[in-house]
Amino acid sequence: MQKLKKGIVYLLFAIPVVTQLYPLLWLVLYSLKTNEEIMDGSFFSFPKSFQWHNYSEAYTSGSYLKYLSNSVFVTATTMVCVIVLASMVAYAISRFRWKYGNIVMTIFLMGMMIPMQATLLPLMIIFKHIHVLNTHWSLILPYIAFSTPIAVFILSGFMRDIPHEIEESAFIDGASVYRIFRSIILPVSIPPVMTVCILTFINIWNEYILAATFISSEKLKTLPFGVYTFVSQYSVNYGDIGAFLVMGALPVILIYFFLSNRITKGMVAGAVKG
Amino acid sequence: MKVLKVPARTIAVFVLPCLLLYVCLVFVPILVSVYTGLLKWDGLTASTFIGLGNFKDMFFNDPVFWPSVRRTLLYAVASMIEIPLCLFMAILLNRYLRRGNTLVSIYFTPVILSVVIIGQLWKTVYNPTSMGGMLNGVLVSLGLDSWTHNWLTEPKIAMFALYFVSLWQYFGYHLLIQYTGVQNIPDELYEAAKIDGADGFKADRYITLPLIVPIFKISIVLAFIGSLQAFDLVMVMTGGGPAHATDVISTHMYNSSFGSFKYGYGSAIATFLVVVCLVFTGFINTIFNRIERKFN
Amino acid sequence: MVKTKMQKSFAIGLTAVMALSLAACGNSNNNSNEGAATNAPKSTDSGNTATATTDSGKKVTLTFQNIYPDPATPAYKMIHELTDQYMKEHPNVKIELDTLNTDQQKVKLKTQAASKEVPDITIVNPAAQMKPFVDAGLFAPLNDMLDQNGLKDTYQKGLLDYYSFNNNVYALPDGNNIEVVYYNKELFDQAGIKNTPTTFEEMLQDVKILKDKGITPMAIGEKDSWTGSFLFMNILLRTNGGPGFLQDVLDGKKTFEDPAFIEAVDAFQQLVQAGAFPDGATSIDANAGGNIFKTGKAAMWSIGSWETGAIDASSVAGKVGAFQFPTVNGKGDPNEFMLAPGSAFAVSANSEHLQETKDFLNFFASEYPKKQFELKNAVGIGQKVDGDLKAAGYSDLAVNIAGLFNQVKGGDLAFDNTMNPATAQVHLSSIQNLFVQKVDSAAVAKEHQTAFEANKE
Repeated sequence: MQKLKKGIVYLLFAIPVVTQLYPLLWLVLYSLKTNEEIMDGSFFSFPKSFQWHNYSEAYTSGSYLKYLSNSVFVTATTMVCVIVLASMVAYAISRFRWKYGNIVMTIFLMGMMIPMQATLLPLMIIFKHIHVLNTHWSLILPYIAFSTPIAVFILSGFMRDIPHEIEESAFIDGASVYRIFRSIILPVSIPPVMTVCILTFINIWNEYILAATFISSEKLKTLPFGVYTFVSQYSVNYGDIGAFLVMGALPVILIYFFLSNRITKGMVAGAVKG
Repeated sequence: MKVLKVPARTIAVFVLPCLLLYVCLVFVPILVSVYTGLLKWDGLTASTFIGLGNFKDMFFNDPVFWPSVRRTLLYAVASMIEIPLCLFMAILLNRYLRRGNTLVSIYFTPVILSVVIIGQLWKTVYNPTSMGGMLNGVLVSLGLDSWTHNWLTEPKIAMFALYFVSLWQYFGYHLLIQYTGVQNIPDELYEAAKIDGADGFKADRYITLPLIVPIFKISIVLAFIGSLQAFDLVMVMTGGGPAHATDVISTHMYNSSFGSFKYGYGSAIATFLVVVCLVFTGFINTIFNRIERKFN
Repeated sequence: MVKTKMQKSFAIGLTAVMALSLAACGNSNNNSNEGAATNAPKSTDSGNTATATTDSGKKVTLTFQNIYPDPATPAYKMIHELTDQYMKEHPNVKIELDTLNTDQQKVKLKTQAASKEVPDITIVNPAAQMKPFVDAGLFAPLNDMLDQNGLKDTYQKGLLDYYSFNNNVYALPDGNNIEVVYYNKELFDQAGIKNTPTTFEEMLQDVKILKDKGITPMAIGEKDSWTGSFLFMNILLRTNGGPGFLQDVLDGKKTFEDPAFIEAVDAFQQLVQAGAFPDGATSIDANAGGNIFKTGKAAMWSIGSWETGAIDASSVAGKVGAFQFPTVNGKGDPNEFMLAPGSAFAVSANSEHLQETKDFLNFFASEYPKKQFELKNAVGIGQKVDGDLKAAGYSDLAVNIAGLFNQVKGGDLAFDNTMNPATAQVHLSSIQNLFVQKVDSAAVAKEHQTAFEANKE
């Protein structure tokens, strides 16, 4: 009886593994097929012979490396800024005794409700006036701004639960707030920081509407934009598109699997106490 | 309890850089949107101030608006439905596996993929039989020919096909949240309960559920906001069609602004969307606060 | 004390931000009036100074927004080769290509236009679609540049009219096409169809025959709803007995509830009911729809002649012919076509380097026909080309299409080129709806009329 129960439970675990992982396999197979095999539309079939040249074609015609390095730069800068800025705010909200902490928190939380598409035109106007259009800053700035709400939310939830004693003794020893923040609070907060990293990363790495609108120079364009353009253009070679999609997804998958075991810890750490 | 009493300047140093950036780039744009929502403006030529005219049109004269609101809310409800299921899975994972993290990470994979990929994939699943769609293929091979549909183009079905993709994509997301929550519950509590004779699901009823409420709330709020803003997936898979049958608030806003050149009207829809988000989040918060108080 | 200070600085910060953004959006509104008024003097002004600076070889960078992203197409090669050549000859000019797909470009240009930040050269669609941009004073008139070296005369007679407002030409088209029905001869043979249809009834008949043979009769990608509209308008052109229906509606001489319109809706529904289109057509985007035909999976494809080059480069090359859209219920003249003056290159009125931009565009447009001819993409380009298609190795299909051009007696523009954007959107989704359900044609007509009246200026 117990064994049967266990069997059912394991089966229950196994089903989502198939349904959630199959897309990746599908994509890889898709990228190795010929046009004819793809147009047949058979979902489970293997390619007769692997069309590796799809990759070389996608690589050469899609400016992959240039887009990739731009994306890495934009994403990395954004993530560093988000972590620094959001953890500072989270620290202030969760540990300082001041009147407006809750108001600031609420303001940040409201930001989660705002759809990015609705801000396209106002942002364009603002960026025009501060002359950052067609630079990477026109992506980095809004990416930071739109990533902070969830970051502040997660980080402040965690920081609220850090025991006060460590902080207090350091304070009495004459350490400045900045120092406490840098050498005590930040190191302790690594788990939620990881979570923030991965969430921010996922959101930014796949963003293409702002990227298409604010960047005009070919040399500044980012990978999701490249993927989107590549996919939707008047091309007839589906295999190339698949290959480009795989190459576009590869960095995010790699990073995810490097970090994944750490992020589960930080996801809602601290939020238990609401 | 907040302990540190620091000078205002320090607070400013910690808060202002981020707050200013955020207010300028998120808050101000949306205020501008609220204002443009009061204009009759094609986004190009001179605008005229028409007060609440756009809202009047929206509420009373737009045949697409209310159905798209209904679909959006259904979207939200649909995405909340899977959260209890995720909680159930999380509890099982926590009980039966020592290290469930790897499995949870695998479940999470679809979340990290770009919607462009997800859209391509599910289109091949939903394709009509003549184009080798997988779902129909499976149905036919099971002898259920009469169950086959043109999943993305039959107006009554298409929206549900989209809901399902979202459920699939965010399954791992909510499972991860719930799983972490369940893991954070101290083992001692269960051990104590065991001594009192509460074991298995009985223990869940008295320990896991009350303690998981705040986490549950996070999931609900995230699912809600996420589905109100659902945009990319609809755009990639159906573009809101056929004939608005899958339009949601955000796609309607986008099409009004950029397709019909009714920028002011689009902004009014955006305002509505933000207000709905605020109201419902407040509503969810109130409900959960009540539940939490009850458990305490 | 400290607290109030902080409060104050916070408040100041906030007000500053608000002021900035309000000023910004106020600006954008005012400009629209101002822009139109100051256009003319401003352009000559900066023209003079710019010419002076060109001589001194000042470095300028021009942004050229375009919609040719696919390296496999002739258009991509054309734009890259021409810009490279120009930059070589003019070392002080750098041309940055902002290459987007069509949807992205529409949204981007719209956003840029609303903030008066139009790229030096951009792409617009003719007539009603570009009118709002011209009204907003965003584009520079190109008359001087067209006249300076006879560029104007290279364009087909009357073509530039679609891009002219108040006697000023505001954009130069990349083509001038007509709607034709491509058909796959092999599939027609397979189905035992000997002749291409000359009446709508025959067309319906052929659709049924093909359908019975398990061949998709007509390819379409109706997720991009202009494709269905383009076909529908061809039917309307017939049932109306000639061109001008939409113009008559605009002039108040007819309404959408006119019998000609209802008849067209009925005929279109017959086509749908006969199973002419692939299953799930409304979820297929235009490219994928075209690929159904280009991979030999569909027998017919009613689309603009701009696809000729792409068809010749596809796997059905050599098997494809083209015919005129048949008469409907005995009405209409097959030699009247849906006309598709191409998307066109426009110059920003606020360009910092207006003269350089015009100089470049002049070069580009002058070389364009030659380059396209070389790249075997000269069918339907809208400018006169020297050279014989056949001798230059063009396909029979290309020659066939070029022949059809000579038969053009007149025709209509697409719906969204004639009606304002808001009405066009209603029309597009109304036609899209016909693909998924049977609708009373009077209701379709009424929906159109209501939308038209609600969005009348």
